[in-house]
Amino acid sequence: MFNGVQMEMSLNMEKLFEKLGDLKSFFVYGQKLIPTLQKIMDFIQDTVPLLESVNKSIAESTAKIPKASNQLHSVSSATEMATTEILDLVDGISNELNSIFTKVDEVKTKVQNQSELSKRLKEKYPDDQDIQDYISHSITLEELELFQSVSNKIQESVMNITLALQVQDITSQQLSSVNHLINSIQEKLAGLLIDLNSNGKEKIVNKEENPLDKAAFNENARYQKNNESQKLADELIAQTNSSKSQEEIDKLFSNTK
Amino acid sequence: MALKFLVVDDSATMRRIVLNSLKQIGHESFVEASDGRDALNKLSADDSINFIITDWNMPEVSGLDLVKTVRANPKTANIPILMVTTRGMKEDIVEALNAKVNNYVVKPFTPQVLREKIEQIISSVNV
Repeated sequence: MFNGVQMEMSLNMEKLFEKLGDLKSFFVYGQKLIPTLQKIMDFIQDTVPLLESVNKSIAESTAKIPKASNQLHSVSSATEMATTEILDLVDGISNELNSIFTKVDEVKTKVQNQSELSKRLKEKYPDDQDIQDYISHSITLEELELFQSVSNKIQESVMNITLALQVQDITSQQLSSVNHLINSIQEKLAGLLIDLNSNGKEKIVNKEENPLDKAAFNENARYQKNNESQKLADELIAQTNSSKSQEEIDKLFSNTK
Repeated sequence: MALKFLVVDDSATMRRIVLNSLKQIGHESFVEASDGRDALNKLSADDSINFIITDWNMPEVSGLDLVKTVRANPKTANIPILMVTTRGMKEDIVEALNAKVNNYVVKPFTPQVLREKIEQIISSVNV
């Protein structure tokens, strides 16, 4: 019986030494692992400020975007206002020119009558120097037509100014397109912020309403005077008009690129 | 028959330029609308409108949707429509023609081009 107890104790001691051996191996492995863990801890310690800096930088950039968007709207509004002022001035000049044209037509009729009268006076009093001088200093129809031609050129220029002002609509669409793009970037940045810091979501929700956000635009709008697009439109319309059957129209439109 | 134009554009500047151009080529009767929805309201309120000049890119209801709606309504289906837009790509023009616009002007335009297109439309349809 004593031997049985002694044997059991011996077995337990063996198991204990075995476990102590395992523990020792674990500590030895742990000792080897400690420098690696230390490196990971150091890396995390170094990375956290960097991540905070990135986060802060994203937050700042995200916060600046509405300002940039508002500035674009300000530019768009200012150019629209300036264009309206120019159009007011141009309309004023145009109205003045129309008054001049009406007046010139009246004067032309008078000059025509005067010219016929002068001719008669010249024939009637060929030796009267005063009459001859008066006739030679009178305004002629040719001079009046020259004045009319210059006025016509001014009116043409006025119309060209009006047409050049179409650039306002085109640049306004380009600005709307840029605004749309920076809004998309803001959303992406705010998405990144949400992952790192929940405050980002509040920032995007708090974005001020900007009229440019609602504006419809053509991102390819260009101020080009080369008429290429107009020629293309004219060609397509001509082809459509000459195409007799629906089949021909479908064939024409099937190759749109 | 005198033409009464409905000029549709979200840009006040462009509406004014189109109106000035129309005046320059001798037209005097106009109604203005700032987008497609406004245009549809003006159309339903005024039976004497017999010519539409519309932009494409507009908020609410676009010019293209306006064209489709006008063409789908038997009361307005035959009103001539001239699209005046910055969209000059082939697929855009084709899309507008498929929606049954009568003619197409690419911005920036001159009054001569506008006159030419209006005259082409008038000679091809019974306004």
